[in-house]
Amino acid sequence: MNFNPNWLAAPVVIPLCAAALGLVFSQTRYRQHTTRMQQGLTLVTVVLNLLLALWLLYETVGLNQRLVLQMGLWPAPFGVTIIADGLSAIMLTLTGILALAITPYAMGTMDDRDRMNFYPLLLFLLVGVNGAFLAGDLFNLYVFFEVLLMSSFVLLTLGGQRAQISGGIRYVVLNLVASLIFLAAAGITYSTLGTLNMAQLAIRMEQAPPSVQALLAGMLLVAYGSKAGLFPIFFWLPSSYHTPHPAVTALFGGLLTKVGIYTLFRIFPLIFPSYLIEWQPLILAIAGFTMLTGVLGAMSVNTIRRMLSFHVISQVGYMVMGLGLASANTQLAVGFGMAAGILYLVHNMIVKTALLMAGGAAELEVGSGNLYSKQLKGLAARRPMLAIIFFLAAFSLAGVPPFSGFVSKLGLVQAALGSQHWLIAGVSLLVSVFTLMSMVRLWQSAFTGKADRPSLPVAPLAHPQRRWLTLLPIGALVALSLAIGLFSAPVFRWSTIAAQQVLDREGYIRAVQPSDEIMMLELK
Amino acid sequence: MTEFMMALVIGVLLGTGTYLLLQRTAIRLILGIALWSHGVNLLLFSGGGFKRGLPPIILDKTNFAGEISSFVDPLPQALILTAIIISFSITSFIVVLVNRRNSIVQGQEEVAITPNDPFAVDAQLDAVTEEDYEFLEDALILLPRQQRE
Repeated sequence: MNFNPNWLAAPVVIPLCAAALGLVFSQTRYRQHTTRMQQGLTLVTVVLNLLLALWLLYETVGLNQRLVLQMGLWPAPFGVTIIADGLSAIMLTLTGILALAITPYAMGTMDDRDRMNFYPLLLFLLVGVNGAFLAGDLFNLYVFFEVLLMSSFVLLTLGGQRAQISGGIRYVVLNLVASLIFLAAAGITYSTLGTLNMAQLAIRMEQAPPSVQALLAGMLLVAYGSKAGLFPIFFWLPSSYHTPHPAVTALFGGLLTKVGIYTLFRIFPLIFPSYLIEWQPLILAIAGFTMLTGVLGAMSVNTIRRMLSFHVISQVGYMVMGLGLASANTQLAVGFGMAAGILYLVHNMIVKTALLMAGGAAELEVGSGNLYSKQLKGLAARRPMLAIIFFLAAFSLAGVPPFSGFVSKLGLVQAALGSQHWLIAGVSLLVSVFTLMSMVRLWQSAFTGKADRPSLPVAPLAHPQRRWLTLLPIGALVALSLAIGLFSAPVFRWSTIAAQQVLDREGYIRAVQPSDEIMMLELK
Repeated sequence: MTEFMMALVIGVLLGTGTYLLLQRTAIRLILGIALWSHGVNLLLFSGGGFKRGLPPIILDKTNFAGEISSFVDPLPQALILTAIIISFSITSFIVVLVNRRNSIVQGQEEVAITPNDPFAVDAQLDAVTEEDYEFLEDALILLPRQQRE
């Protein structure tokens, strides 16, 4: 069966329609009933979205090809190009998995105040994220980025507590400035090269004067880097991520910074391949500092979710390390560093979300996330299931075999050692040890010991049925992490295919076929 | 000459905007963001070239031919239109956020804290530890440090 490229628009169109439909049910009257409608609609949509993503994954990675949709049959640089390759499909699948996990978790943990239009906003976020993974030109990438940022702003401040709003202001301002830098880079690109289509940019960028090339590469690195939470522009993340509802934190921690990483993975090998080599020391330095500052920050803070949001930063450093090693000369397969980076991305999106969900559930169980508070102790005895799940997820994050954290870190360290980058390999191993240390500290203060004060579970979690609804998706994510760790060979093969597609610029250009002349396609 | 003037204006807008963004008061932050977005929009606009009295339309529609100097590039104008909408909406969102924060701080609006809200204690603790990050909230009345115990 031939793949109809029009399906490529579906990951954007389906959540968009469902979100709009969900807003219809947002009246304040009959709230219980209307929330049920929104929940059901969202559940159906995220399942459809995941199935669609899995199909795309089979078409791109399974058959090793790229899928291109030229909107309205306008040839490449003139119309809107939508392109899916292995990396896009992997990211779409992960987004689908996370959305499917978050929806029941939100059903289990949210009360009426929190869930005002949470579900439509979740779907709008999905629209932006899916669109950013599929965009084939810089300006659409910008627009989809704004769609996802706009819904993330509202999700972050949903509930309107003071800490949320002051954290939200930092988040909004920093992200807006980063977006404006991105927009300015797009403007300069268009006025120098006369195109925004990524494939055509890949052809034309070499004709630009070196100073302009360096300027654009630097501006895009700053813009995406600050969205991804890279050193030194990461401080907006730990100052805002612990404030919203745990379901929102888990979604953001697993998804949003990784969109920034995805764009770095996409833009640098495609448009600035020479800078990937020339700036390799810079990229590796950023990666190292990001890992170190993230993990040291995590060791210095005292609440569960704050600690986990610092870990988000430190983990992002590993992915950038994969980007830095993408062009390195190794005796291993082509693009081994990149493949290890993609595998790390897969591992981290799953495990980070599971961990933030489990940490959030622990906070909701006792009504406090402070590691020194009196009621947050001895959770292991009171909530054994939650404790086991948290334990497994924490070990996976730290990189203990047989979980996915081990194979992905092994891949990165192997790539670093294979290309004689001793320093970054050492730093990444040191950071692993620190991660394990801070996880042990969290475990000791939250799960061991005996509670001095009775805990006050937040109202929704008092129902046993809702507790299961909360635990089930976390358990499923941890099981997925274990499965990736145990069956790492096929997963690594898929990420190698994706990495080779990302590094194969000619293939990308051939798939999009940008032309300098205006010609109309034949209508069938 | 037009190019030079435009470059100067963009530079002044971005420079002033950066200065304002680094200030502590919320209103300057908002103004700084507004100036930044105007500067970037002008930068996009200047990508289309400055040609007076020319349409952004290709006149010869049968074979799409024509001198490049006989029309203005319409794409940057379409891009700015989108960018203006996005930056305007986000700026207004920040205005609402700042307004909301101020009204919470000054006690004009009752914050919905339920009597048995277990997170109320945490929120107070948070407000104290937040102090290290406070680069925007000099307007906030911080809780005294003694409440940490």
